[in-house]
Amino acid sequence: MTRIDRYLGAATGALVLAGLAAAVSAPPDRLQGELQRLMYVHVPAAWLAYLSFGLTLVGSVAWLRSRQERWDRLAASSAEVGVFFTGLAIALGAIWGKPVWGVWWTWDPRLVTTAVLLFVYLGYLALRRATVDATRRARNSALFGVVGFVQVPVVHFSVLWWRSLHQPPTVLRPGDPTIDHVMLAALVVNVVAFSAVFTVFLRMRMRLARDEAELAAATEAPGRPVAGSAVTAPAAQVAAVTRQMDQREG
Amino acid sequence: MRARAFVVPGVGLAAVLAGTLMFGNLNDNLVYYLTPDEAVSGRAAASNGERFRLGGLVEAGSVVPTADGVRFTVVGESDGGTVQVEHSGAPNQLFQEGIGVVVEGRWRADVFVSDTMIVKHDEEYRAPATEAGGTTS
Repeated sequence: MTRIDRYLGAATGALVLAGLAAAVSAPPDRLQGELQRLMYVHVPAAWLAYLSFGLTLVGSVAWLRSRQERWDRLAASSAEVGVFFTGLAIALGAIWGKPVWGVWWTWDPRLVTTAVLLFVYLGYLALRRATVDATRRARNSALFGVVGFVQVPVVHFSVLWWRSLHQPPTVLRPGDPTIDHVMLAALVVNVVAFSAVFTVFLRMRMRLARDEAELAAATEAPGRPVAGSAVTAPAAQVAAVTRQMDQREG
Repeated sequence: MRARAFVVPGVGLAAVLAGTLMFGNLNDNLVYYLTPDEAVSGRAAASNGERFRLGGLVEAGSVVPTADGVRFTVVGESDGGTVQVEHSGAPNQLFQEGIGVVVEGRWRADVFVSDTMIVKHDEEYRAPATEAGGTTS
């Protein structure tokens, strides 16, 4: 825990509490009543899905340009957190859809494209798991991270491109958002609070990824010092030297 | 070189997919519901009792409770066509005059007989007080 982590943790806790208070104290909707409060968690979750896959795109492009491992770790960690928030958005949408629409799920363009988004990035994570070599893994997944991002605008514009049950955008549209401004303020607070939670998750996951990479490097390193055993040490040294010679020749 | 082997087919695939979605004649399969006008014009052509979804607004003053459900008129949001709907089953929690609905069923003569109703709400969120004289649930 560094000092930044402590401040970030405290700020996130305060923001989440503020978001909760704002969500509860905002006025109910004229048609949906109290059910509309689900917007204050559903919309931030969906927003973070966009943001995290956007960061995966940034990390992927930056890795392809610089070949620095930390960009690969950013892309991978962000995709993993993004998959979590995409699943959360779908689950919260279903919980909202059941009382308001009357169905948990329907084959509406927005719902289907969001499910595809989830599976695209589950595929991204599967690809990472399936590749052992770190450089190949970074390159393959960077390409996947660039191409896969195409699905994000498809999800966002699905409600405009196709006739759908899901309503078109309320806030991210040209002109004044078609929402009561007190509700909009509550929504913004919750988006900021969720983004803070996302930042905490992302930092934790990136730190874990760095530790994993260090562990992998330490266990795979050839000719590493053999601790403890005086009897086997010369043999190990011989083996290490032989391996180095083999590598030089090969 | 390895990257190119990935990128070229990837971009090609994406272009073909995007082209098919945008310009291919997939509309019949991608349309989530028909408007009243589309449903009426399709009725003469396909009278084989095919199930489809019909979407529009519940016309004000048209809602009549029936023995096993509710009868109302659906008005197209943009084209203004109307269709009589006989829905069997309890209407949704938010069902009311003026709200959007998507009903699923088939034609019986010139009445649309539905057994599944989904309420389609719009992208407007307003506090009850700002809507003077508006219907509140």
